[in-house]
Amino acid sequence: MAAEPRPVSPPAAASTPLIELMNASRWYGNVVAVNNISFTVGPGITGLLGPNGAGKSTILHMAAGFLKPSSGTVDVLGGPAWRNPEIYRQVGLVPEREAVYPFLTGYEFVLLNARLHKLPAPHDAAMRAIRAVGMEDARHRAMGGYSKGMKQRVKFATAIVHDPALLLLDEPFSGADPRQRLQMTDLLREMAAEGRTIVFSSHILEEVERLADNVLVIVAGRLAASGDFHQIRRLMTDRPHTFTLRSGDNRRLAAALVADPSVVGIELTDDRLSVRASDFGGFAVAAPRVARASGVTLFEFLPTDESLESVFSYLVER
Amino acid sequence: MILALTLRQLVGRRPALLMVAFAALPILAAIIFRIADPDVSPERWAANDLLKGLIVTLFLPLSTLIFGTMALGSEIEDGTAVYLLSKPLPRSHVISAKLAAAWLPAALLVLLSTEISAAIALQGTGGSSILVGFTIATALGSFVYCCVFVLLSVLTSHALIAGLIYVFLWEGVVTELFSGTRIFSVRQYTLGVADLIANTSHRTFEANLGGVPALVLMAVVTAAAVGVAIRRLSRFEVRGLV
Repeated sequence: MAAEPRPVSPPAAASTPLIELMNASRWYGNVVAVNNISFTVGPGITGLLGPNGAGKSTILHMAAGFLKPSSGTVDVLGGPAWRNPEIYRQVGLVPEREAVYPFLTGYEFVLLNARLHKLPAPHDAAMRAIRAVGMEDARHRAMGGYSKGMKQRVKFATAIVHDPALLLLDEPFSGADPRQRLQMTDLLREMAAEGRTIVFSSHILEEVERLADNVLVIVAGRLAASGDFHQIRRLMTDRPHTFTLRSGDNRRLAAALVADPSVVGIELTDDRLSVRASDFGGFAVAAPRVARASGVTLFEFLPTDESLESVFSYLVER
Repeated sequence: MILALTLRQLVGRRPALLMVAFAALPILAAIIFRIADPDVSPERWAANDLLKGLIVTLFLPLSTLIFGTMALGSEIEDGTAVYLLSKPLPRSHVISAKLAAAWLPAALLVLLSTEISAAIALQGTGGSSILVGFTIATALGSFVYCCVFVLLSVLTSHALIAGLIYVFLWEGVVTELFSGTRIFSVRQYTLGVADLIANTSHRTFEANLGGVPALVLMAVVTAAAVGVAIRRLSRFEVRGLV
């Protein structure tokens, strides 16, 4: 991706948060999508991490001024986000939905957005944004023929065409191939280094790990954890892990394993052992070694619940 | 910008093309009338059967319903409206552009159909006042209808169905059965204005609503529909949109 020099629009005040949620909740009828959440977001890249349906999009929609909080407040750039179109001078938005105007070319679409922002030189701004996302070659093709990744990039170009101080991205990497992900990651890092505030949502741990300086873990509409990624990762890896083992002699294996320092508890069921370990990697190495030393044949060795949902659930229950 | 974008969006859509074909129907009816040469006054037939029956009752509301609900409703439905709503633009700007985009093609088709078909039907008669009356009335009526249907598209995701119910059930049945409800019918306003301007004898054409009240009601409904649409759009929650 071309490293295009871009004029920096400094955030309203670098020390004050650009997004501030105070006891914000949002419900749809009887369904609570976001439950009494408070946090602030300042310059840099912040990842909203959580399983599908956790409330990440609802938070982004409220921050984008497209949803009214049912209670509490959602402020952006020092003012309320709801019913405040003026914020869009400083806010860029990449929606999750793929929809674009299929009859427009990529260039026309970005130019339209530049004109709607009433930029003084809309053509130059549009070309700068198109170059930034690497869409120069396809810019004169109708968007109806674009791949999902191309649509994602051109949507990204419309979001940055006016040089916003705050960028909100809802699942920005969906549909992008690895090369496009890398390009977009580089661009976001570059924009963050210029002092912008970038908030993106994702349900993929590695995606957030690669990009975000700061992470907000959202589960079931609640803020389950927040901080830098390493803190969150530590919380996740330090939790107890459960393994299921099947061997030639479960009773003898259990007696041998109980001495291992990573083992927290062992349960002997019909033909299996259920072992709880404090250190996932340590136990994965120790278990086969202990089995061999005890002369027991290991038939099955399975971590039982390593899904992202279970990790999130652990953080909520913590 | 929004006007040009919406016009590009509307032109070429299947329902819009259907309306172009529909515009030919009154013209075809007028040609058949001239060829058949029935034992009825051309002025009377043109005013009641062609202009009131076919154009004001059927083509005018259908055409404005299609363009009025598509102008903003289709963008809300497919999610592209977010690109307009995430700009520092007054919502009144969006609504007025959408109204213009809906009204221009709808009025163009209705007026073309009205002019050509009435010219054929009234050829060689002294019915020019009927033509003038219905031309102005359908131009105004199409604008009021567009305001109502753009409002419907902001209020409900089932704007087309709601509009069809309004046109066929409310205007077609209820206002015909209960005269007191005619003050809530754009069709009756249009006919009232046509009657006022055409100024023909009662035997040739007579509207159920007076011309002046019709004009006042048109202004009131237009202002109310535009005002509510702007207010509604400024509080629009785009749940599935982003």
